[in-house]
Amino acid sequence: MGLEELSVAEIECILRQAAKFKKDTSNPDCQTDNLKGKRIVNLFLEPSTRTRIAFEIAAKSLCADVISITGKSSSLTKGETLRDTAMNMQALGADAIVVRHSSAGSSLFLSHTIDAPIINAGDGAHEHPSQALLDIFTLQENLGSLKGKKITILGDILFSRVARSNLWGLSKMGAKVTLAGPSTLVPKQFEQMGAKVSHDLRESLADADAVMLLRIQHERQNSSHFPSLDEYTTMFGLTMERSEWLKPNAIILHPGPINRGVEIDSELADSSRAVILDQVKNGIAVRMAILFLCTNAIKRTEDD
Amino acid sequence: MTDYFFSGARIIDPSQNLDEKRDLWVTNGKITFDRQDGEAVSVNASEMVIMPGMVDLRSHLHAPESLTSLSAAAAAGGYTAILTMPDARPPADNPGAVRLMQEKASKVGTIKFLQCGCLTKGSKGEELAPLGTLKEAGVVAVSDCPGSPQNTEIFVKGLEYASMFDLPVIEFPRDFSISPSGVAHDGPTSLKMGIGGYPRMAEELFVQRAITVSRNIHANIHLSSISSSGSVELIRDAKARGIPITADTTPHHLALTDEKILGYDANSKTMPPLREKSDRQAILEGVLDGTIDCICTAHEPCHEHEKQVEFDLAPSGIIGYETALSVVYSELSRHHKDPCRLIARIMSENPSRILKNPDRSIAEGAVADFVLFDPGKEWKYNARQGLSAARNSPFHNSLIKGSVEMTFSMGKKVYSVR
Repeated sequence: MGLEELSVAEIECILRQAAKFKKDTSNPDCQTDNLKGKRIVNLFLEPSTRTRIAFEIAAKSLCADVISITGKSSSLTKGETLRDTAMNMQALGADAIVVRHSSAGSSLFLSHTIDAPIINAGDGAHEHPSQALLDIFTLQENLGSLKGKKITILGDILFSRVARSNLWGLSKMGAKVTLAGPSTLVPKQFEQMGAKVSHDLRESLADADAVMLLRIQHERQNSSHFPSLDEYTTMFGLTMERSEWLKPNAIILHPGPINRGVEIDSELADSSRAVILDQVKNGIAVRMAILFLCTNAIKRTEDD
Repeated sequence: MTDYFFSGARIIDPSQNLDEKRDLWVTNGKITFDRQDGEAVSVNASEMVIMPGMVDLRSHLHAPESLTSLSAAAAAGGYTAILTMPDARPPADNPGAVRLMQEKASKVGTIKFLQCGCLTKGSKGEELAPLGTLKEAGVVAVSDCPGSPQNTEIFVKGLEYASMFDLPVIEFPRDFSISPSGVAHDGPTSLKMGIGGYPRMAEELFVQRAITVSRNIHANIHLSSISSSGSVELIRDAKARGIPITADTTPHHLALTDEKILGYDANSKTMPPLREKSDRQAILEGVLDGTIDCICTAHEPCHEHEKQVEFDLAPSGIIGYETALSVVYSELSRHHKDPCRLIARIMSENPSRILKNPDRSIAEGAVADFVLFDPGKEWKYNARQGLSAARNSPFHNSLIKGSVEMTFSMGKKVYSVR
């Protein structure tokens, strides 16, 4: 459901499993058919490319049967409720349902009505656990242990599930998280969740070991949050020039999709600092681990 | 007609400043304190309280509730008069709709249904509803609850115009421009959950608007369902300056905070939303010191399937009749040695006075209209076994203190506990 309720041990367990899958999949002789015969349903009711495809590839890499349902092709457009759709998926034999939905809490809501494991692939502005796990995985690959490391998340925090999940996850792994961006998108109240809040770009970049950029989500906000995209870029865009403020070894992450020239300079996104495509690759291994562990957890309780 | 004898009950009636232990008989539907020798059902009421029937200032008549089920649920909560909000179908913005509702209520209602008419046509906030005609048709108050006229000129004119007919105006304070979605209170809880959209400010700005308008045009305004600490302060100050406003809150704002929505349970989604600890504390203080005059139930039934959807898509609304008195008693008894007199005032006397609806007293010869309440009895509320046709209650499975044992309305026994 989210990283808020996961323990450090559980996060480490997923990441260990992900590392193993990453190694196995890079070796052509190694078969990973752990989910053979399992039926995984991707119920994606909000546009998504990366996450949906990553979950599909992850499930296929484990030899599961994958069915992807996207917003337009589902019965929800015919007036069926989410609960009914999910109950139908279960009746049709889904062994796990991966849910992406624009409403916060929708996965948790489904988990109360459905017996099959529900995997949260992003629920409104609440959590995006698989993204945060792959971010942590990528950060650890680059920085080693995250204990005491400073991670700055920059951009539209208020509407971001990625920011929330990362804040929980990174804090649990011992990192110090700074949330940065305009005051209308980064309210002070985030401090109560354990983050440092900064509206000063330079200050928030200066001591960061990694900076995670978030896309400005035009679709979720009205015009009152900041004057214009141009103004955002002028005040908070990560330009080549501003990247000089970063420590020499600091890396740049972005969950995608990138708006080149808005939150990040195009060249910077392609530079060696950026690990954006590594994130995407790691996303597969991490999601393999999630699918494997979630379906297995159920199996174990059934055996009991 | 069955007669009743209540021995040794504590009788509380704030309208006569009455609070004493007495024997009370109901004979031919009327109250008497004179010993009656005829056959009567005898109730040992020595540990119980008899108060005038509860009066509710905010009830929404929505499906699945019918007038019959609403009567039954209200009676089970000790309510004998309830004000239905104008957002029924059809909306109470024309005399036909008002009369239709009265006709239906007179057939099936076991309690008094009082009607609140629209302040503006269709409660759209654009033009005034025909308030004089509505009053002639029988409405006892006007309001756009659960909305509020966003245009202040309409609001002011409505108040001026309603005052000509001595019609109470109930304002549900909400500035929609800063609470367009209104899913949840904007605070640490909702920030974490990724929802929100109904800040305190949305209420407080319009509470201040009502106070300013009331001061300038000397009109009474009743503020409905106060949920925020800032509103309580504003109202307290305004009252100290003699501005003629009154206010109510709900049992759930007195008893719960937004932590209740942490699991995205839409049965705790209400309007205004549940807020923080500090708000709940301020509301409690407001009730204890008289800043908040009444408790309304904000009874808003929803179908179960309507609530079984994503939290932000679920309609807001909480049912309240069967738990209101007990929840308020449970909360107030934690801070008040003997809250029964206060309860009789804020749940019966004051709302009745705001509606200018007198003659509800526990006096010799009066028509029996009272509740028999057992403050010592603890019980577990099960929304599935209630008399309301809806189940959307955040108090489902809660242990609450104080039980309604019997309710009399219009001279008849309309409820007795199973």
